[in-house]
Amino acid sequence: MIRLVRAEVFKLRTVWSTWLMLGITALLVIFVTGLTASVSPDRRAVTSFPARGSAAWLDIVFSGMTVAVYLAIVLGAVMITGEHRHKTITPTFLAEPRRGRTVAAKLVVALGGGLVVAVVAGFVALGVGLVLVGVGVAPLGAVLTEYRHVWPGVAAACVLYGAYGVGLGALLKNQVVTIVVALVAIAIVEPIIGLVAPAAARWLPGSAAQALESLAANARSHAAFGGSGGVHLVVWWVGALLLVGYGVVLAALGSLTTLRADVT
Amino acid sequence: MASIEVQGLTKRFGDVLAVDDLSFTAHEGTVTGFLGPNGAGKTTTLRIVLGLVRPSSGRALVNGRPYDELPDAMRVVGAVLESSGFHPARTARDHLRSIAMVDGIPVRRVDEVLETVGLAADARRRVGGYSMGMRQRLELARALLGDPEVLILDEPANGLDPQGIAWLRGFLRWYASLGRVVLISSHLLAEAAQTVDEVIVVNHGRMAGAGSLTELRARQGGSVRVRALDPDRLAGLLADAGFAVRRQGEEVVEATGTTAESVGRLMAEHGVVVLEMTTEGESLEELFFEMTAGRAPDGLVRAGPNGAAGAKAEVGTA
Repeated sequence: MIRLVRAEVFKLRTVWSTWLMLGITALLVIFVTGLTASVSPDRRAVTSFPARGSAAWLDIVFSGMTVAVYLAIVLGAVMITGEHRHKTITPTFLAEPRRGRTVAAKLVVALGGGLVVAVVAGFVALGVGLVLVGVGVAPLGAVLTEYRHVWPGVAAACVLYGAYGVGLGALLKNQVVTIVVALVAIAIVEPIIGLVAPAAARWLPGSAAQALESLAANARSHAAFGGSGGVHLVVWWVGALLLVGYGVVLAALGSLTTLRADVT
Repeated sequence: MASIEVQGLTKRFGDVLAVDDLSFTAHEGTVTGFLGPNGAGKTTTLRIVLGLVRPSSGRALVNGRPYDELPDAMRVVGAVLESSGFHPARTARDHLRSIAMVDGIPVRRVDEVLETVGLAADARRRVGGYSMGMRQRLELARALLGDPEVLILDEPANGLDPQGIAWLRGFLRWYASLGRVVLISSHLLAEAAQTVDEVIVVNHGRMAGAGSLTELRARQGGSVRVRALDPDRLAGLLADAGFAVRRQGEEVVEATGTTAESVGRLMAEHGVVVLEMTTEGESLEELFFEMTAGRAPDGLVRAGPNGAAGAKAEVGTA
């Protein structure tokens, strides 16, 4: 199993798409946090929007890191769908014919991959925070405190979403379909369910991730993500368990159905 | 003892019966040709042997075990498959390393196999820029990673230039001479004939014939036509020797199922005066067409009535 995990890490390291995804993560986090920080409250005409430089405002700025979860999903999804796409699944299964083991190794590595995505996002967001300190918008102490509130939740969500991506990929196999399904589910379907049936929506992956992201932070700030503000989120650790569950169940289904299928 | 054993293998894809109750054994020390026209079920059979496709019934064993029960599969079986792929952005060396790691095969071995297939100079290039022939060589390198006792190649000549084919031929002969099992599929008998010791011919998923290449060659003899001074006597001699004899006109006798050499010796022995002798050779390819058209030549094991159950052929030096 250790060998399989090492092989999966090596596969990730040796293709540029992995580095591209990390680059995109950095750019998106700069874009979202920077944009949030540069928009002034009065221009947005949102009465409840916290004052510039306040703890709640910093919270919202740092929540921009949550965009990284999308990249974590894509990273996990590509780990398995990329093998189907480039037909490397054949040599992979020839080397380890017990397919469930390969999927398990990918799940493990995707957790780590999600963490790497979160670390990249964290560094970039911290940079943005330091810029805010530099231009005198907020004091260093406040920036670091709010950063510490937001990052762990985002990191936990990224880690688990990586595994979720592998699970979904194992089930759907097709790269484009997997990524589209994952993103549409979180960005469009879940918010709609959140509006229609908020009680059910809290059990869905997106809300579970949000629960994680609100780990220690001000709940108000998380309306920024996904727009399912009306959903009463579950406790963070339930959110974590939910995401683990989704990843494992999808991967298990994938191993039982799609991965049992003939490779031709 | 290394072997590939296929027992009553059947595979159905929906309404299509791709493999139909196929049984054969490939033994060590021989190159076995798995022959048949495109769509005969060769690739499906090989994929079942390699655990990539599940049989509808029957089983395929390598060294007595199903593929997915082999510990460190790559160290037992190496396979080159047409549908196997590469990540275009990964270098050849990294591609092999990522696979070698799974069975704990050292990097040293990766460089060795790249050397063996003649890709050492291009090892650090991305596979996306490789030619078809280079990819085929890289596939072979991957198959060799575990120094396997069993080598399975699906249409290995595809994509190789004549030089590459000649090299591969020599390589496979050498590999089998080490006492290993080599099984190669091909839709061209003439191509495979230069490499294989044993043949298994399949058609429509069924066994169409099997035997050694020597047997095949003996059967390919076609006919020998002789114009002799005493054709009646000659016809009698040939018939007594067990050959099928047919008279053609006044002077000519045609014997099938023999060779010019046998006929010549027979005539010399009995002092028959020969005026003219010609051979009508049936090429291996014609023989192959004949077999895959559903008729197996005499002397070769063939499928039972209507190709039904019981089609079984033992191939190789037991």
